[in-house]
Amino acid sequence: MMSTRRIGVLVAHELRLTRRSVDAVLVLVAFPIITIAFLKPAIRPALVQSGHPHANGAEHVVPGQTVMSAFYLVSLITFSFFTEHSWATWDRLRASQATSLEIVLGKTLPRLVLGIVQFALLLGAGVLVFGLTIRGNALALAPLIVAFAACLVLLGVAVTALCRSAQQANAIGYGGMVLFGALGGAFVPISVLPAWARTLAPVTPTYWAMRGLRSVILDGRGVAAVVAPTGVLLGMAVLFAVVALRRLRFDEAKVGWA
Amino acid sequence: MALHDVSLHVAAGEVIGLLGPNGAGKTTLVSIVAGIRRPDAGSVRVGGIDVLRKAQAAQELIGFAPQDTGVYPTLSVRDNLRFFAGLAGLRGARLRAEIDAVADALSLDPLLDRRVSQLSGGERRRLHTAIALVHRPRLVLLDEPTTGADVRTRAEILRFVRTLADEGSAVVYSTHYLQEVEELDARVVFIDRGRVVASGDVAELVRRYGSSALRLSFEQVVPSSVQLDGAVVDGATVLIPTQDPEALVAQLVPRLGAEVAGLRAIEVVRPSLESVFLSITGRQYGDEPVGSPA
Repeated sequence: MMSTRRIGVLVAHELRLTRRSVDAVLVLVAFPIITIAFLKPAIRPALVQSGHPHANGAEHVVPGQTVMSAFYLVSLITFSFFTEHSWATWDRLRASQATSLEIVLGKTLPRLVLGIVQFALLLGAGVLVFGLTIRGNALALAPLIVAFAACLVLLGVAVTALCRSAQQANAIGYGGMVLFGALGGAFVPISVLPAWARTLAPVTPTYWAMRGLRSVILDGRGVAAVVAPTGVLLGMAVLFAVVALRRLRFDEAKVGWA
Repeated sequence: MALHDVSLHVAAGEVIGLLGPNGAGKTTLVSIVAGIRRPDAGSVRVGGIDVLRKAQAAQELIGFAPQDTGVYPTLSVRDNLRFFAGLAGLRGARLRAEIDAVADALSLDPLLDRRVSQLSGGERRRLHTAIALVHRPRLVLLDEPTTGADVRTRAEILRFVRTLADEGSAVVYSTHYLQEVEELDARVVFIDRGRVVASGDVAELVRRYGSSALRLSFEQVVPSSVQLDGAVVDGATVLIPTQDPEALVAQLVPRLGAEVAGLRAIEVVRPSLESVFLSITGRQYGDEPVGSPA
């Protein structure tokens, strides 16, 4: 039987484990702010050309770099599982009273919240520092962001389930960040991508996150514009959850970091 | 290692010494009882609870220290203990009291606020064991708890295991060090190649199966002149069962002739768990010097 108390213990433990690690802050917040600063002027002409004469570039670069770096949540999830194997604490965790679902929730919930906080921080920094104007209803972004963060953390669990070693998971995490970021229109606007890439883009969560964000931020639309992207992202989240449920074997001997 | 027809019962207050050479199946057995590995057939009950069907309920009663040291190096000793105590349902004043008690018993109290990455190997091993015991489980499963431990750590773990049993916990103590089981005054279960080959208390086993033996170690190979019936050769060492080791020495040394130059050591093995294992399996016990923990 699931226990909220045990989930609380697991979440608190994950927070203690990560409180000293600076990699999440660097990759999720610091690096995107740096890239936003120098990509913003480069992206402005593409936005102007696509029918947004008042755009300053931040309307694409801020959500784009946020979405791209958020992909690091996938790696954070896989790290959290594979380090248990590196530290030989996995069997000990399994022998505790925590159920498999509680262990997964203990690892995913803090990263889900982290993903949401990352969006809030970077969109806030976009408005305050980079002249970002959210033309539509900013609150309409909330369900979209939650769905995207949920999609990424569940993708992280699915990648953990499918990989035998930390190195494999690491390669997928970083590869996915770059590939999905570029293909999904997070790096440059999808309108400037070649036709074949535009055809493939909808298979990436990044595409749907960017579509919803741009609809509200750049096109000034409201909740109705994020319904479809949020639905697709939740659908992908369910798909990743199903993969994780079917393939995550707690008794599988995985190879952690050497 | 697959297990076959293994059956054992551990009562409250009892220590079972699960003995066997490396690869005998001890870890497999302990992992099944701990609920982290499923057997193909059979049943496991802890405090009347079926571990295979109600693992979570059974795990409330179990304290398990796996063979590999499993601790969080980036956390303090206290945070490691707090985490597992919290998962076991302890909280508040009771949680703090139990952490203090187990830390005191295993001499971890001065280290409670130190990061685990700063501890020595022996200190980590004590923490590893303490984590299994912090919630005062009714069944304690310790898989090779003294592997890699220093002399002090080993002594403290053995003393604390004995204390736990005296306080009513059932203890399964897996080891390949025969001497530890004798020190714990444990009931012995010998496992070899996945089967229980003998069980009973130490004195009973030694009385039933034990005999003296003579161990001769040579520089290179064991000469054929000392390979008597029943002798077990392992590399450059031969173990010869005998009721009268001293007489056998007097008989064998002249027989070696010039080959006596290659003789490096003569050791008399008195009736012990080692000779019990030899009698039952026809093999020398383990690959490492018996009874001498690392």
